Amino acid sequence: MLAQFWWIIQKDLMSELRGRRSWPAMLVLGIVVALVFGLQMDLLPQQRQQVLGGLLWLAVFFAGMTAVDRSFAAEHEDGCWQGMKLLPVGPGTLFLAKWLVNTIALLALSAVLIPLFFVLGEQPLWRHAGELAQIAVLACPGLAAVGTLVSALAIGSGRGGSPLVLVVLPLVIPVVLAAAECTRLAVQGEFTDSSGRWLQMLAAFAVIFTTAGTLLFEFAIED
Amino acid sequence: MRRISVGTTCVALVWQLLLAGLLAGAVLCACWVAPTEATMGHAQRIVYLHVPVAWLGLLAMLVMAVCGASYLCTRRLLWDQWFQAAAESGWLCTSLTLVTGSLWAHEAWGTWWEWDPRLTSAFVMWCIFCGVLLVRSGLDDPHRAARAGAVLGILGALDVPLVVMATRWFRGLHPVAPQMDPVMRWTLLFCGLAFTLFFGWVVHHRRQQIALEQLAMRLQLQTEPE
Repeated sequence: MLAQFWWIIQKDLMSELRGRRSWPAMLVLGIVVALVFGLQMDLLPQQRQQVLGGLLWLAVFFAGMTAVDRSFAAEHEDGCWQGMKLLPVGPGTLFLAKWLVNTIALLALSAVLIPLFFVLGEQPLWRHAGELAQIAVLACPGLAAVGTLVSALAIGSGRGGSPLVLVVLPLVIPVVLAAAECTRLAVQGEFTDSSGRWLQMLAAFAVIFTTAGTLLFEFAIED
Repeated sequence: MRRISVGTTCVALVWQLLLAGLLAGAVLCACWVAPTEATMGHAQRIVYLHVPVAWLGLLAMLVMAVCGASYLCTRRLLWDQWFQAAAESGWLCTSLTLVTGSLWAHEAWGTWWEWDPRLTSAFVMWCIFCGVLLVRSGLDDPHRAARAGAVLGILGALDVPLVVMATRWFRGLHPVAPQMDPVMRWTLLFCGLAFTLFFGWVVHHRRQQIALEQLAMRLQLQTEPE
């Protein structure tokens, strides 16, 4: 079981490395969004600290969804989706493998966008690097879990690339809000005192959404 | 097809009269029996509609999750009919929550909208209702629509604890269990009960209407020439 799990992850990462199907588009979109926000951030330093977290996590969400939305597109377009479903692994394992690949994609995107936003927002990055890494590690799994499940639902419903992705935003708003609030606290130097509840919320949503995704995936991919 | 007897019609009529009486009583209590609040005046009476519809929005989301899970386990479209009826009624209740909350906020806080945790979480729930209904409406096959709705409904219900606990976990403007005059509290409870029964009646009838729509569609398909 574990061998197949790693095989799916390896296949997806290798296929992305060779084919460059969705990650470059995701990164370019994220950078463009960051630059557009950067151009508009003609604010006082305190105001900039207030809005930076919200803009950063919205950019991560919108750019990240372009890659997460295509989680199953490669298999679907290349006609090997039925073959994937016949793999001797449970649907939960298939979901977890896809979820891990999407989490890696979102973490890679965060690793690019966080420094970019901090540079454009004229904020000291290294002082908060540990705190920001903590936020990204807790926020990305939650975003990836809902995105992966809804993407599977789009393929299962025969409506790949459909407006199904639009429903992801309201479902993950708690995660985006908590990540944005944690980032604001980090930027304003209040992370240690007040971020505990928000971090707990991020961790809770990551666990809840990943568990729900693992259980519901079987129903989402039915023909 | 089920035959509707005179007895069944009489029982339904009695229930409807009882419900109408309860609703009329709730309106009377909210408008005349409950005392006028000292600072907000008559505007405070919005609470007697706002709190019940907010509770019903949450209830609808939970009903959707239960019906969605039941559909996924049994694959009976009956559960999906309940799901759709609850989703539509829940959307209406959450819309009313946002509208009445906005009216109340204008009187109490001097603003139509504030990004308070409770208001934001109610808005998120409204977006989830919209998303579920939009996705379902785009799928022609009833079983595919039921499956998509069930999965999204269960995911949406996971946000309910956040909506409920928003005012307790995060500081905001929205009141948390304010002190009330006993008459006001009883009026609120009575309104909650009357509106909950009305909600059940609406969901039940909408479910029957959906079942009849599906039956009519099946009959139309059977009678159409090849």
